[in-house]
Amino acid sequence: MPRRRTLNPLTELLGAVLLVVLVLVVNRWEFSLAVLLLVVVPAVLVSGQPRRIGVAIVLVAGPLLLSSVLLHGLFFPEGRVVLLDLGPARVTQEGLVFAALMGLRMSVFTGVLLTTAMTLDLPDLIATMTHRGWNRKLVFIIGSALGLLPHVALRARQITRAQQARGLVVGRGPLSRLRALLMVTTPLVIGLLVDASERNHMLEARGFSSSGPRTSYLPDTDTAAQRTGRRVATVAVLLFAAAWLVIGAVA
Amino acid sequence: MITVRSESFTYDDGVPLLSGVQLAVGAGEYVVVAGASGSGKTTLARLLAGLVGSDAGCRFRGSITLAGETVRFDGSPADPRIDRAAWSAAVAFVSQGAWGQLSMMSATVAEEIAFGPSNRGVPTEELRRSVHDVAASLRLTSLLGRDPRRLSGGQLQRTIIAAAVVQRPRVLVLDEPFHGLDEDSAAEVAAALDALRGAGTAVVVCDAMLPRSGPADARVLALAEGHPVFSGLLTEARWAGLRRYGIGTAGDPPGLPDGLGSRTGGLGSHPDDGEPTDHAGVRPQDSPTGAGAATPSPVVLTDVGFHHPTGAGESAPTSDTRSDSDTGPAGAGLSGITLTVRAGEIVAVRGPNGSGKTTLLQHLNGLHRADTGTVSVLGQQIRRQPTGTFAGDVGYLFQDTDQQLFERTVLREVAYGPLAAGVRRSEALRRAADALDVVGLGFVRELHPYELGFVQRRLVALASIIATGSTVWVLDEPTGGLDESARTGLARLLRRHARSGGAVVMATHDAAFATAVAHRTIWLDGGRLVPDDPGTDGRMDGRTVEAEPADRRRGLGWGHGRTAGEAQDSQDGRS
Ligand SMILES: Nc1ncnc2c1ncn2[C@@H]1O[C@H](COP(=O)(O)OP(=O)(O)OP(=O)(O)O)[C@@H](O)[C@H]1O
Ligand SMILES: [Mg+2]
Repeated sequence: MPRRRTLNPLTELLGAVLLVVLVLVVNRWEFSLAVLLLVVVPAVLVSGQPRRIGVAIVLVAGPLLLSSVLLHGLFFPEGRVVLLDLGPARVTQEGLVFAALMGLRMSVFTGVLLTTAMTLDLPDLIATMTHRGWNRKLVFIIGSALGLLPHVALRARQITRAQQARGLVVGRGPLSRLRALLMVTTPLVIGLLVDASERNHMLEARGFSSSGPRTSYLPDTDTAAQRTGRRVATVAVLLFAAAWLVIGAVA
Repeated sequence: MITVRSESFTYDDGVPLLSGVQLAVGAGEYVVVAGASGSGKTTLARLLAGLVGSDAGCRFRGSITLAGETVRFDGSPADPRIDRAAWSAAVAFVSQGAWGQLSMMSATVAEEIAFGPSNRGVPTEELRRSVHDVAASLRLTSLLGRDPRRLSGGQLQRTIIAAAVVQRPRVLVLDEPFHGLDEDSAAEVAAALDALRGAGTAVVVCDAMLPRSGPADARVLALAEGHPVFSGLLTEARWAGLRRYGIGTAGDPPGLPDGLGSRTGGLGSHPDDGEPTDHAGVRPQDSPTGAGAATPSPVVLTDVGFHHPTGAGESAPTSDTRSDSDTGPAGAGLSGITLTVRAGEIVAVRGPNGSGKTTLLQHLNGLHRADTGTVSVLGQQIRRQPTGTFAGDVGYLFQDTDQQLFERTVLREVAYGPLAAGVRRSEALRRAADALDVVGLGFVRELHPYELGFVQRRLVALASIIATGSTVWVLDEPTGGLDESARTGLARLLRRHARSGGAVVMATHDAAFATAVAHRTIWLDGGRLVPDDPGTDGRMDGRTVEAEPADRRRGLGWGHGRTAGEAQDSQDGRS
């Protein structure tokens, strides 16, 4: 992760959260699509690790999309235009449209959140939260949750290396890579379940969960301008959301 | 300062551990808790660290007193909960398995060391000062800007210790702190512990062996199968006959010559193991110039050069850091490595922490690819083939066992290699079971590797290599953390493998082990081969190993008198 960047990680994180809120509130496919094409895709491309993020998005969003298509595509009670009748299940036009909309939204969510999380400079984020004097509990929750990502990445890498050292052949083709990815999932998930409580103990033992003020080894990279920017953006999005909802209700 | 009185401690439904154990450590005292695998020393360490109570599946009856306050446990669900955050402000714990202790919230070693104190609100100025002081005392200064996830094993271990030392705790508990450290680092860690003790910290060090040296007033609590078997001064402990409890002394040669306690056990992968020398007729000393053209040497490296990519955001090594081996003149990597290992030969790779031993070893099975020069294994040059294709030929033991094990059960873990090599399932399982018997772990097949103690996990990793049946064994710190019996068993296993025509390359800090087991030693420093350790004369090269009589060569001396209770020293190091 590049250490030098223009925006403070807190600003990036807030931006991502506000974007998700907007997509939720606006709830129009045109808007979701625009965010996907104009924000998510470029962000992934310039992230410096488009493949890794791309794979992660596919891994998370893929199953969600699939289940959405199965659920709404086949069983959509309000569906009128029947495209295919399969007895108990009916593929309806309305169902498919709904599934597509849901899928689009879910892809936007996973795209925005995963890209942010995977490019986030976690040490800097924690330093900023510390310098801003955030609540310790919140710092702990955000820190240990986001800290799981690099932990998972490291563990996944170790498992693949161990498997290869024992004879898992990973070729250059996409199929072979996909197989390697699947091979790593089970041990990764099981290992993480075991690790999770130990990790929590470790973080507690290193005082991360203690109460009282925290200090930071890293200097403050936040700026007054960004702080103002964050406040303004938050207020603006909240106002907009309220207005949008009210107008929607009235109309 | 801290006192533990344990009436009994039980994991799940296992046999009680730590019955009648009492340990009291006063301010400035140094206590070694020594015990073989399964003796309960890690359990005791975890008790001291306050890891008890809420842990599901363990029942503790006894009490812990810290600075005058006593917490009592009756093994009932109503037991008090220890507030770990508060407890750890007084008691710092360095457990086995260094990478599991990384916060994953630091981009640099400096931040990692600072993590604890910053969580406790130490002011920034003081924080920076103490981080730099501790780093200086543990020779970490040149590594402060590095990503802790990309350190060598010993460098990481030092970082983790520094992160505990910097907290200036009232009690410091360390599980195998010297494991994987070179001599200088070990001395520096010892000095740092001394300095802490001078300031009143009570130090508890758990170890599978008695230390060769220690503070004059050091005390020892020796455990065997959960019972105390000795308590007294370190100087007395040496003569207390603790060997009969499987507690050796660090730095002693492995007990090779006796060959007793034999048991007929087949190395599944080498059905011809019992046949002494006629496997290709090769003994290293018989083939001074490469044993002819017929059989290529198992491992040939010519002029290998390699660079670790530096992570983004890491500060490049600055020129003002003294050119110790942590970062060679040209940064981390290897250069000009030429090495031939013949069939039947055991070669030790030695050198200080960060000198490139692991980096070199990982070239032998394709985990790293040489930037320049060539690497050949069993006559096949490693170019761009997938790493997995070499696994049949090269068995690799990772320095950190936790990086190696990934399966759900011990048996599956060991069977993974043969299965990946295309062996039929039933045959693979049979080989796995055999290999587990060889290392004396036949009784834990169905357990999850995480449920095993540290030594056992390491033996599982070893068994997985045996089961695969590779010719070349590449072992990274194979004796690290092993107890006496496992270390001796390992020595026999290696010799036996070599005698059956295999080749072994092992990185090690265990001088006595290398001297006793290896035919020759190569030394690395800053990623280059250096002539010889100044401290040793060159006679070790080309040394021959006296052959043991054939009839004594069978058993590996493992697992005598072990019971299923051994598995209970569990969670060992898993923190
Ligand atoms: N993944 C990596 N990325 C960058 N540098 C690395 C990486 N792994 C190791 N290094 C560096 O390369 C050098 C050699 O490391 P290596 O792990 O080979 O040392 P080692 O001799 O095995 O040491 P130890 O005795 O501590 O295990 C060290 O300076 C280390 O910090
Ligand atoms: Mg190493």
